[in-house]
Amino acid sequence: MKMRNISMRLVNSILPVLLAFVIGGVVILAIGENPLETYGILLGKSLFTQKGLLNTLHYASPLILTGLAIAITFKANIFNMGVEGQMLLGGFFAGIVGAYLPAMNPVVAKLICLAVGVLCGMLFAMVPAILKAYFRVNEMVVTLMLNYAMIKVLEFLSTGVFRDYSSGYVSTPTIKDEAMFSRLGSSKLTIFFFVALAAFVVMYFVMNKSKLGYETTAIGKNLEFAEATGMKVHKKIITLMAISGALSGLAGAGYMMSEQFKYTLSFSGNPGLGWDGMLIALLGGHSPVGVLIAAVFYAALKTGSDHINLYSTVPKEIVAVIQGLIILFLAVKFVDEHTDIGDKIKMKFHKKSHAAGREE
Amino acid sequence: MDMLGNILYDTVYHSAPIILCVIGGIFAYKANVLNIALEGMMLTGAFVSTLTAFLTHNVLLGVLLAVLSAMVLGLVFSFMSVTCKGNVIIVGLAINLLASAIAGFVLVRMKTSNITLSFLNVANLQVNIPVIKDIPLLGRILSGHPLITYLSFLGIFLMWVLMYQTKFGVYVRVVGENEEAAKSIGLKTDFYKYVAILIGAMCCGFAGANLSTERLGLYTNDMTAGRGFIAIAAIYCGRGSPTLSSAYAILFGLARALSVNLSIYAGPAAGLFDIIPYIMMIGVLTVVSIVENKNNMTRGFKNE
Repeated sequence: MKMRNISMRLVNSILPVLLAFVIGGVVILAIGENPLETYGILLGKSLFTQKGLLNTLHYASPLILTGLAIAITFKANIFNMGVEGQMLLGGFFAGIVGAYLPAMNPVVAKLICLAVGVLCGMLFAMVPAILKAYFRVNEMVVTLMLNYAMIKVLEFLSTGVFRDYSSGYVSTPTIKDEAMFSRLGSSKLTIFFFVALAAFVVMYFVMNKSKLGYETTAIGKNLEFAEATGMKVHKKIITLMAISGALSGLAGAGYMMSEQFKYTLSFSGNPGLGWDGMLIALLGGHSPVGVLIAAVFYAALKTGSDHINLYSTVPKEIVAVIQGLIILFLAVKFVDEHTDIGDKIKMKFHKKSHAAGREE
Repeated sequence: MDMLGNILYDTVYHSAPIILCVIGGIFAYKANVLNIALEGMMLTGAFVSTLTAFLTHNVLLGVLLAVLSAMVLGLVFSFMSVTCKGNVIIVGLAINLLASAIAGFVLVRMKTSNITLSFLNVANLQVNIPVIKDIPLLGRILSGHPLITYLSFLGIFLMWVLMYQTKFGVYVRVVGENEEAAKSIGLKTDFYKYVAILIGAMCCGFAGANLSTERLGLYTNDMTAGRGFIAIAAIYCGRGSPTLSSAYAILFGLARALSVNLSIYAGPAAGLFDIIPYIMMIGVLTVVSIVENKNNMTRGFKNE
């Protein structure tokens, strides 16, 4: 039964990806390029060379965190769409603290920056959490609105108050060397990947082995039943949103300290690490291990998209199109408990042998 | 006086696309399929209308194709969510991402970051209403808008009639309130859901064309900036009533007009005024929700 469950989930995750790639291939064909060659560049350079693989793991680090941040709330049927905003805020203030820090022990400096990021993300997530838990305001609309508001506020802060006028474009000052994660070897991989892995291990135990994880699943399956059996749903919502915000903040802070080093208006890229996190959570079926695999796969697409730009004339925006298609197809469950292909085939054989037996 | 006139004119200006989204979205809301793809449909409408007008120099054709393309997205949405029974919220988000990704892809292929309609003077699209335009303040506010803006305010009334005075409206509401009951009396529930979603898509197409081609003669990517979600917030606040939800949409238009007009005086802090509409919407949602749950005596947490 368990095996069947896992294989069902695998089919439900892989089929949408394949479908999206097929449609993406048609688009690439339509603009007169070779889709197989493009996909070869996309995945080959990012997964099958040593340097490429390490770079992929580097880009996967923030995605693992945002993916987990979304997975834990979606699992409880709370739609926290504010991961993007929480991540940006965490990254921004980690960067500001990193830039204005007095000289000190590098380890302490890094810890302070990460803590600031986590705290900012957590506090910002409290706004929709409290509104949802105590005033029953729809959290999806609130978090989406707060994202737009947060982007505007950070734009204001980085063009005015914290602007670094020595740089030619809008950005905050670069963080101090003490606060930067240094690279391991020739690739871009830093300690941050292991920080993300540690967060993954913690979340694995929280979601699969702890009381909170069980309660999350129960709330997601039936909120009123969970309340009736005595779970304090308000408090759980606050806790889950706090965890989600903390993970998002950590993702932002780590991305700031390992990749960007300063806040620019395109800090999180397009369509943003928070939105990528949503794809990853869906792709991984809201389970921590699934999120880890999906994050690496998605990071491979992302690093690969830069190679597409270099080695072919296909615009790298094609990856965003494929991403949208994947989410679209992920919404539909292709197979579930009721469509069991194995059983159907067995039934057919059974009938046939039955019929054959009768003929004799 | 001049300032007041400007603010009120801008209120009408910025309300129109949101009203269109609201009056389109309420049908899906009443049919119990939350359509959060309004944003993406509006963006596609905006993109297609500008692109078509850019290529053919024909604004009318642009509006027509905008509506059609938004309805194609509506078909995809309803196929995935109604026929294939996918998760409505995820399908909606996917469509929002896709709309922006496709537009971005095409823009990169055209080697430009935005489409500008240089042949078009948007002032020529504004229609002055004969008698009203001569009334001092009122004429300044009500006259001189493009066609779709008038259409949006007219639409509030039309949609009210469609929702409460026709058989179709009753059926849509029955499907939303109790699907099993609707099925038992022989209604084709899927059909009503499809139509409800498509009405929303059509209105979003108009909203997009209004936002980009009619008002600015310009398309930049992600120019809808969350208006679709604001429309959803307005629908939530107004509990799906065409008039009440539109009132919330106008409230947002007012916030937007205030932020545009007041930011001139704000100097360097002008950037902060952009957040007024979003924060106000959250405030309004909260107040509405508190008022509604004030007399709620049920113990514990109930879903929506």
